[in-house]
Amino acid sequence: MSEDRFDKLMRDAAQTFHSPPEPPLEEMWAEIEARSGFRAAPTIESVTPITAAPRRGIRIPSWFAAAATLVIGIGIGRASNSVGHETQPKAPVTVAQAEPAQSTQSSDTLLDRPYAIETSQYLGQTAALLTSLSSDAKGASADAQLSTRASDLLARTRLLMDSPAANEPAMRDLLEDLELVLAQVVRLRSNGTRTDLDIINRALEQRDVIPRLRTAVADISAN
Amino acid sequence: MTRTGVALQTPQRVSEPELIARVLAGDRIAARDLYDAHSARVYRLAFRLTGDAALAREFTQDTFVRAFSQLARFRGDAALSTWLHRITVTVVANAMRKVKRFRERETDLEDVHPIGSEGAGVDPVLRERLHRAIEDLPEIYRTTVIMHDIEGYTHTEIAEVLGVAEGTCKSRLSQARAQLRAVLADLAPELES
Repeated sequence: MSEDRFDKLMRDAAQTFHSPPEPPLEEMWAEIEARSGFRAAPTIESVTPITAAPRRGIRIPSWFAAAATLVIGIGIGRASNSVGHETQPKAPVTVAQAEPAQSTQSSDTLLDRPYAIETSQYLGQTAALLTSLSSDAKGASADAQLSTRASDLLARTRLLMDSPAANEPAMRDLLEDLELVLAQVVRLRSNGTRTDLDIINRALEQRDVIPRLRTAVADISAN
Repeated sequence: MTRTGVALQTPQRVSEPELIARVLAGDRIAARDLYDAHSARVYRLAFRLTGDAALAREFTQDTFVRAFSQLARFRGDAALSTWLHRITVTVVANAMRKVKRFRERETDLEDVHPIGSEGAGVDPVLRERLHRAIEDLPEIYRTTVIMHDIEGYTHTEIAEVLGVAEGTCKSRLSQARAQLRAVLADLAPELES
């Protein structure tokens, strides 16, 4: 093939290869703003009630709820740690400082429990969503409610991936797979097709995602 | 080859260091200004590398979230755009490895990335073959060819973004083109006639 011919082909590719659509600038900014913490503090006018009921309420973002759950879990863990030590003779502070390794190990063991609770709840909810997705494959594509739930779970997935819950390799692999699946489910809201849903369900089957989810829930419950 | 991309540097009403300082101080308006100046180019690069609107959107978001969180580490050795595009390429490369691992091997790419009908004058079969050949290139070659031949970055810019020497960039492009030519070789005679 001549140089000219090849250059002509590459010029054509510059126009046709993955030709970008108009970027969704505002939608992307809304997400970036929320994740980066640039969003201004909500005013009374900007607060959206959870329901149309006259009761006043502040809408709590899902990521905040998940983060709060983790923080509260840590607090519970630390409180449990304190309670556990109260049954034993109190040692002087200087002794505790002199034995940091033992103290840390005890604390870590107790800190795992809230993460386990949060992870177990998260996995259960994700299993329920993905199971309903599988059954939906026989009918219509996912609706907006499903996509919203997936979006919430996606945010929690990413929080857990950055938490000690993801320290175990098998759990980390599972969370990475779930991140991808949930991101695809979220996509269904805007441009989902039956083909997309089929691809997701085939991927779920090939990666044994749902059985692995159930196994993980059972493992956590057993511990 | 004709340049189809735009220059990396974007006109700024406020100087870049000043904008960065304001963002670091938590100025939301400055952050939006920075986003407005660079987001379209970042999205464009992400889309070219992925061919998927949803992934391009997600990776653009990830790029800016990461950039804002690490902005204090930006020392101004290179242009901010270069730094952002470096993050973009890294985010896309890392994520696409996971995506490819996850996706079914037998998924027909045409279902996911329909090839446009624009660009008259080129045989559609040859065009499709070329597109597939670009997608099948090893990552370092594909990124280089997309940035240079498709998006119009200069070798200097690509070298800065990828953190390699300019000579390495040229060599990769040459290798990539050789591979593309080889893939198209069997179709060439009939097209030349």
